[in-house]
Amino acid sequence: MNEDLILQHGLTLDEFKIIKNYLNRDLTMEELGIFSAMWNEHCCYKTSKKWLKKLPTENEIVIQGPGENAGIIDIQDNDGIAFKIESHNHPSYIEPFNGSATGVGGILRDIFTMGARPIATLDSIRFGLIENEKTKYLLNGVVHGIGHYGNCIGIPNIGGECEFETTYGFNNLVNAMAVGHVQKDKIFYSKPKSIGGLIVYIGSKTGKDGIHGASMASDVFSEDDEDDKRPSVQVGDPFMEKLLMEGCLELMSLGLIESMQDMGAAGITSSSVEMASKGNVGVLINLDKVPLRQPLSAYEILLSESQERMLAVIDEKNNLKVKEILQKWQIDYEVIGEITNNKRVVFESNNKKVVDLPVDIIVDDAPEYDREFYMPRKRKGKDFNFSNIKLEDMINTLLSNLNYLDKSWVFNQYDSTVMGDTVKEPGQSSGIVKIHGTQKVIGATTDCNPLYIRINPYEGMKYTVAESYRNLISCNISPLAITNNLNFASPLDPNIMGELVLSIDGLKTAAAKFNTPIVSGNVSLYNQTNEIPIKPTPVIGMVGSNQDLKKINSNKFCNIGNKILVLGKQLEKNLSPYLLQDQNLASKINDYNDLEELDLDYEKKVADSVLKMSDFKYIMSCNDISRGGVFLSLLKMQYKDMGFKVNIPDPIDLFCEYSAGYVIEIRNEDLNNVTSFLSKNGVGYFEIGEIIRENIEINSKKFDYFDIINNYHNNFEKIIN
Amino acid sequence: MSFKSAVITFPGSNCDRDALCYLQDLTKGVVYNIWHEEASLPQVDLVILPGGFSFGDYLRSGAMASKSKIINDVIKHANDDRYLLGICNGFQILTEIGLLGGALIQNKNLKFLGKNCFIKKKFKNNFNSSIKEDQVLQIPVAHNEGNFYCDNETLKSLKNNEQIAFEYCKGEFSNSEENINGSIEAIAGITNKKKNILGMMPHPERAYSDFHPSQDGKLIIESLIT
Repeated sequence: MNEDLILQHGLTLDEFKIIKNYLNRDLTMEELGIFSAMWNEHCCYKTSKKWLKKLPTENEIVIQGPGENAGIIDIQDNDGIAFKIESHNHPSYIEPFNGSATGVGGILRDIFTMGARPIATLDSIRFGLIENEKTKYLLNGVVHGIGHYGNCIGIPNIGGECEFETTYGFNNLVNAMAVGHVQKDKIFYSKPKSIGGLIVYIGSKTGKDGIHGASMASDVFSEDDEDDKRPSVQVGDPFMEKLLMEGCLELMSLGLIESMQDMGAAGITSSSVEMASKGNVGVLINLDKVPLRQPLSAYEILLSESQERMLAVIDEKNNLKVKEILQKWQIDYEVIGEITNNKRVVFESNNKKVVDLPVDIIVDDAPEYDREFYMPRKRKGKDFNFSNIKLEDMINTLLSNLNYLDKSWVFNQYDSTVMGDTVKEPGQSSGIVKIHGTQKVIGATTDCNPLYIRINPYEGMKYTVAESYRNLISCNISPLAITNNLNFASPLDPNIMGELVLSIDGLKTAAAKFNTPIVSGNVSLYNQTNEIPIKPTPVIGMVGSNQDLKKINSNKFCNIGNKILVLGKQLEKNLSPYLLQDQNLASKINDYNDLEELDLDYEKKVADSVLKMSDFKYIMSCNDISRGGVFLSLLKMQYKDMGFKVNIPDPIDLFCEYSAGYVIEIRNEDLNNVTSFLSKNGVGYFEIGEIIRENIEINSKKFDYFDIINNYHNNFEKIIN
Repeated sequence: MSFKSAVITFPGSNCDRDALCYLQDLTKGVVYNIWHEEASLPQVDLVILPGGFSFGDYLRSGAMASKSKIINDVIKHANDDRYLLGICNGFQILTEIGLLGGALIQNKNLKFLGKNCFIKKKFKNNFNSSIKEDQVLQIPVAHNEGNFYCDNETLKSLKNNEQIAFEYCKGEFSNSEENINGSIEAIAGITNKKKNILGMMPHPERAYSDFHPSQDGKLIIESLIT
């Protein structure tokens, strides 16, 4: 086989040699396509596997850890929660609307494939600076795409994050997360149960879209590539997915299916290989039976990433019943093959075997690399200089920076109340939905702090996990588990590989301390265009629960006259105020200080106290403190006609970050009880002020209340238009 | 006598379960869920055409659903002077059937709108009789085509016959808008002349439980039952 062809398929010549030696014969084109799809980073994690193995993935509530379509945790009784986050970065840059829409579609299929009904979605999206003309186009397209898909299928979007930073200018990030509810005794896995089971194709017809999508997703971009790659972007149809979801869930609730696997990245190839590998069986599939939208070659059918398709294994006796149910939902259905006992993946087309490979070589012999990495150098840098700081300037800068402003413009394009179980909508510390028919709630949040991770990957990752943790804690949600989405540039650069290794280490440390195992995830590498690598962006999605929805904290002020307290320990080395002063810090971070070590024990201690005080009903409202400091938390808590009056010795402190930082609102009469509780438990606090009517007062100086509030809520839209 | 009701499910409906729960919890009576291909409706007091994207909103929102098999019986049900409520996509379906006048076009800012909105009643009818004059209700909207449009003649007749049930208004948040989607005269919901059919864009079935930010959606069912 010629070398160009091999390289075009994203395989190295060494990798090809391994295959050739194993098989001791030439490969067919179809087989080459299969290795191209299965041996890329997206499917086999060849760069990250070694490090991902170090993550904590189990504890007493984990029902399913990484390795299935989604992770599942136990939330008591017969209730399980399935969740996962996945990236659709490259497709969303080439075609923002369809790229992001199919990102949502893909992650929803991962959830209902396991028998879970999706109950919420979240996202994490990153773009270049708004001055970059293309950013507006990308932002509009991505938000439209996420909204369109989720709104149409009818799953509430309950939260997420949206950041603008220069390195995402030519490589935006779109990570979508989905959460589903499953009955513990009705979980479906991809492992087939019996030899002879029928392999059935369910869903949309197969077309040319997305051929080589998975290997594209693992490519480095160059800008003029864009047009050439467009045909590789899948086109989504949320209406079809809605039918598919209802049809599949009905089949599963009736027990008519043995196992199921969605045809996501690398389509029918990866789903059938996964099935065979999980079940330690073989598959025999006749490609002539696959429902087609247009004439396709065997090679194209194998690699198509057409959306809204499922592969299931059923017992022959259920065939008619399955057909009947799917007909009601107007979904294409075809028996295309069977489960065999020979541990081989065989595809036939026109009465010819076009693929005949042992499962082992595709899956178990997939390459695993131990890539060279450098430890980041220790930073010394200079200290920050905060002399001559002016409160007005700080507030004005904060209110003109997209990263701090209210992002209603984004989430008002999402349906966040469909299904009628939404307890907390986007824009608050964490999104919360009720488990239908119970009093239990699930909270979820997504976070990443790429700048801090660039400064110090290990500590920065701890900050990221701690931020999610505080998001949930501030709502009185007990954090339970994590899904991660590691977005990095090329791992062939040992500096970037070093960031990958150390941030996984930071994730491991923090997840172990908080007892929040990683149950699912996704890796997206080679996020760089024109030699500009993105900042390291290991996004996490954290999920937690509370058994009683009445115990949930408000994140908004409740009553005029109530006291405001700040909990936690102010960080000594604080970047947050500096970021407000100098928006170009991102490009000069090498000059500046290292991050302060985050004390996770303290983080946990304060969190436990917040949960207790919430259960005692001491806390009337609560918000965590992150970048933007106390001031931004106060703005987020502002509600209706309420404002705040605060006193703080040094105004700079108002913009600082805290280790285990929370702002809480309490009643006057509880002040003594609360402060003695905090002292007894070793939680740092200070009384910063109180809630007042239609005013913002800092150290007796009055600010224009309506101006600040309106700017906070409306400036995002003004800036991006 | 107990109140009986039904919710029609079309392929792509996604608020059918919400509407079923809303009716079950508030009417305490029998609630049927009817698949669009069924030929007939049971005898009920109220039928809801729920929100969602029936048939993927292909062609036009509500256009394909308006030709469904069950629609003949829905029309018969309405002609018998019994109640018919179309919410969001259901409202769109009602205008496509021709049971209600006007049309719902794309929102003025050309974007999907998912947020809490504020409405108040304009003219009295059996769907809003429990709501006080000038009482401001907080109810979520979630639509892309909710901008009510009609010609001058239709508008005149809607007014003369007191068919405007709800209009958008400002609420208690300083940044809430008077007219969120550009509808003519801020119309949020209309009835037919006989006032037994109501179409509205806001979702009352998402504002009735204790944990919802507002329970104002209850008032519609309360109006019908009392």
